[in-house]
Amino acid sequence: MKLTTVLAAAFLASSAFIATAQAQEQVNLTWQMWGDEKDAALWKSLADLVTEEYPNITVTAQISGWTDYWTRLPVLASSGQIADLVAMQSMRMPSFYSILEPLDAHFASDGFDVSAFETSIIAGLGHDGTQYALPYDVGPWMVYYNRDRFAEAGVAEPALDWTFDDFKAAAQKLTEGENYGYAVQSFDFVAGPVALGAEYFNDANQFDVTNAGYAAAVGEFVDLVAVDKTSPVFASGAGAITGSGRFAAGNAAMYIDGPWVLQQTKDSVDFNIGVAPLPRGEGESRFITAGSGWGISATSQHKEEAYKALQVLTGPKAAEILASAGRALPGRLAEQKFWYDVAAKDVAGTHEVLDYMFAHSTPFRLNEYWNEFENLITQYMPLALNGDSTTDAVLADIQNQLPF
Amino acid sequence: MAPIEDVSGPTSRTRSRWGSRLDRREGRTAFFFLLPGLIGMVLFLVVPIIASVVLSFTNWKLLGTPQFVGISNYVRLFTADPQFWPVLRNTLFFTAEYLVLNIVISLGLAVWISSLKMGQRWFRVVFFLPTFTPGIAVAIVWMLIFAPGGFFDFIMRSMSVAMPNMLTDQTLAMQAVIIVSLWAGVGYNTVLFNAALDMVPQSYLEAARIDGANAWQRFWKIRLPLISPTLFFGTVMTAITSLQVFDQIYVMTRGGPGNATATLGYAIYQRGFQNFQMGYASTIAWVMFAMIMALTAVQFWLQRKWVHYDN
Repeated sequence: MKLTTVLAAAFLASSAFIATAQAQEQVNLTWQMWGDEKDAALWKSLADLVTEEYPNITVTAQISGWTDYWTRLPVLASSGQIADLVAMQSMRMPSFYSILEPLDAHFASDGFDVSAFETSIIAGLGHDGTQYALPYDVGPWMVYYNRDRFAEAGVAEPALDWTFDDFKAAAQKLTEGENYGYAVQSFDFVAGPVALGAEYFNDANQFDVTNAGYAAAVGEFVDLVAVDKTSPVFASGAGAITGSGRFAAGNAAMYIDGPWVLQQTKDSVDFNIGVAPLPRGEGESRFITAGSGWGISATSQHKEEAYKALQVLTGPKAAEILASAGRALPGRLAEQKFWYDVAAKDVAGTHEVLDYMFAHSTPFRLNEYWNEFENLITQYMPLALNGDSTTDAVLADIQNQLPF
Repeated sequence: MAPIEDVSGPTSRTRSRWGSRLDRREGRTAFFFLLPGLIGMVLFLVVPIIASVVLSFTNWKLLGTPQFVGISNYVRLFTADPQFWPVLRNTLFFTAEYLVLNIVISLGLAVWISSLKMGQRWFRVVFFLPTFTPGIAVAIVWMLIFAPGGFFDFIMRSMSVAMPNMLTDQTLAMQAVIIVSLWAGVGYNTVLFNAALDMVPQSYLEAARIDGANAWQRFWKIRLPLISPTLFFGTVMTAITSLQVFDQIYVMTRGGPGNATATLGYAIYQRGFQNFQMGYASTIAWVMFAMIMALTAVQFWLQRKWVHYDN
């Protein structure tokens, strides 16, 4: 009897020990992310936050370049080598949501509240009403402008609700010889027309880029280049990047980009810069936002730990680190002030402009063919810009090649 | 080779039986020696090739399981895809212009170099340099040169030549790609042809000179026929690589403006890795493969008319 008791006690003790050992089991999570080498230390400091909070979890970042990231992601996913934590951009969500773990059940289990985040980016990192990722940054496309050039040309600085006509007049006044008022980039044909009130989708969320409203709005931006010559033509090989270079060189007084390049732009120019909302049409202002975040791989072996890590990586402390480094305008509303204090410190009007734009944000409508659409714009739009073809013909060509 | 042929070609029955046993034993040994290479070839060449044939009959999108769709990818390619025929036309146009220019320029340079009294080696190295420069890096530099408002535009403007930008004009964009390809590709053929020209026996040329043949005649009647096997090799290889052109287009134009520089190689990348239609991309790859095979076969058939083998 005594022996049995001792054995039972020993068994209980050992099983309790095993249970504790299991709870303390070291879990190493992989974390797939894009970025520059210079950001590696920043991601490392975020990963360290996770280990600080949960000593049994370590996170190892795997960083690749932006373009490679999107080529590798589906390959890794289909060969079962995808990381536990996966970076995702809102515009790619319709193509890739299937490789991510739905987060709603996790939210329900611990009562996690997403209202600490900016609403448009929470919507952007979901698909069909299911949340697949939590954001680390957010931002609308806005107009960067050269304040010195505006002052020299005697052009008034943009108002929050400036119209396309104001924008055009400024671009014309700022264009002089080899110096352009504006440098168009391919994404302007998405963000620009939306701000003017146009839609590139039909009601069924399928591409309808030949509709009169969208064609007219694209035509307005095309005319700035083809007719008014206020902007240089971009070449299809580098359509998405040439504007920033021209702006930084002082060769173009305005260009359109997101807050994610503000720190970098500020550092690369030797003049005063300002930001303004995109010009509106006849109706109310409306802006699309984009951002990125992290989700949990649907095939991860450590979903519970990954969820814990995800909460730290997108938590207030991590947001403060990224914002203070100027790396990201946080998706978390409370921590946005750190970004305004650092990255946006010398940039006129950033706070008011972004507040205005978030207040007027409109859902960014996407579908799984979004990437094809963007590539086609970059490839075909130069034909309209250099006058070889008309806006209508180019849009018809693009529509023709889209699956819907 | 000769002794092995002797063994495998016996005359009497006994020798044949003995020979075939030896054959088998040697064959087995040879098989094990060849195994490492064979495994590599099967794993990295045969399996992917078979996989891509299978893929071309599916709708695989990289994510999810592929579904068999019969020949509908091929039907779509030839009948429904608005881009296929322009892409095919661009590919053939690029190949024709690039091939002719490459062969003419590299042959011209090779003849010029071989006529030099000194500095032959130096020039060979200079012209060969682009061959071992990474293609992507070369294309990026050229893209910056040709970019709107770039160095090329600046030169043209300062010479008061009014011309549209090379990369945004529908006709000129392909010419820009061809210029870059020539810059990168001419050196290899130049060195190849130059080596062949140096192999032409001096005695033939001297005999011709004594017979009164002038330089022009010596080139057309003696040197060219004697280097024709090398010329043929250069032509076939250049044609194959130019049908597969990708790097320059990926960096410089992304197939644009419009579809002016979209080629088969770029279309495969675009469908496969941008739009994730792996099945459809495999279909295009197989059509490209068939086309290259057919054109190479035609070249081999044509060689009977102009290639002279010494033996």
